[in-house]
Amino acid sequence: MHFVTGGAYNGKSKWVKNFYGLTEDHCWKSAYDQTKIPLNVSRFYGDVVVLEGVEQWLKGLTVESGLEECRAIWQSLLGIWRTWESERHERTVVIIGTDITKGIVPMEKEERDWRDLTGWAYQDLAAVADRVDVIWYGLNQQLK
Amino acid sequence: MAQLIFITGGVRSGKSRFAERRAASLREQGTLHYLACGEPSDEEMKERIRRHQHDRAAKNVPWETVECPTDIGSAAASLNEHSVVLLDCVTTLLSNELFQKDGTLQQETKQKIQSGIEKLRERANALIIVSNELTFEPLTSGVESYARQLGELHQWIVSEADEAYLVENGVPRLMKGAGV
Repeated sequence: MHFVTGGAYNGKSKWVKNFYGLTEDHCWKSAYDQTKIPLNVSRFYGDVVVLEGVEQWLKGLTVESGLEECRAIWQSLLGIWRTWESERHERTVVIIGTDITKGIVPMEKEERDWRDLTGWAYQDLAAVADRVDVIWYGLNQQLK
Repeated sequence: MAQLIFITGGVRSGKSRFAERRAASLREQGTLHYLACGEPSDEEMKERIRRHQHDRAAKNVPWETVECPTDIGSAAASLNEHSVVLLDCVTTLLSNELFQKDGTLQQETKQKIQSGIEKLRERANALIIVSNELTFEPLTSGVESYARQLGELHQWIVSEADEAYLVENGVPRLMKGAGV
């Protein structure tokens, strides 16, 4: 599992495409296309599956459930994706998440919950990921 | 083609100071050109600009300030192969280009700024570009287009740059290139 993060509009997706040489048809699920959070791994194909915009999926979770429950859901999703990945040696799940957690703590509870969950979710993800990169205007810094 | 150096950081991170030092170190002869994109809109902004001017004047280096709120490419005519140019800063330039005084919103100004930078690089010896870090907060719809264009500009500048620095707390971190 490969976690790619950094600020908005820093070229994260472009970096992932270059890094994995994703030129032909590949499995790319993006929250920005209004795609639902990918629970069903039977729809995954190819060796590299990219899940983009996880911060938006996390925001969606906070609408439905409390924070603790959201985090438990996220951890089980990570488990599902990692199981799919482990079935074949060549497989990698790449998760792209924008860093939204370095601003002023907002007044509105929903907005706070979103940032809280995103911070925890990224910690959980980084802990299980084999590799973590932060992208700064197209340049990567490998954290793990 | 002029050497290109990109320097970014937060507000009051010391990025302008570092950029001025870097510019002075590149100077062989002639004047340092300071392309100031800021337009003073209130007293606080005027004070901020005065402080920057004072800092530059105090260093015993010949700075020539060119007010350049929009259309930076027009400054190319006054440059030559000895010119060291400091452009301060992309965020202000982009807002000036995007939000024109008549209230019309310019849709794609990224191209205009890119070609302005190219014009400066064709004439000068070195170009140092200062900018501000983008936010790490969720973007609201009103700033989405601005943030996208700024992010894309930053990516393009970094890809073209010989050196790129992120300045935090006055300490420049070399992100690309061989450095000083």
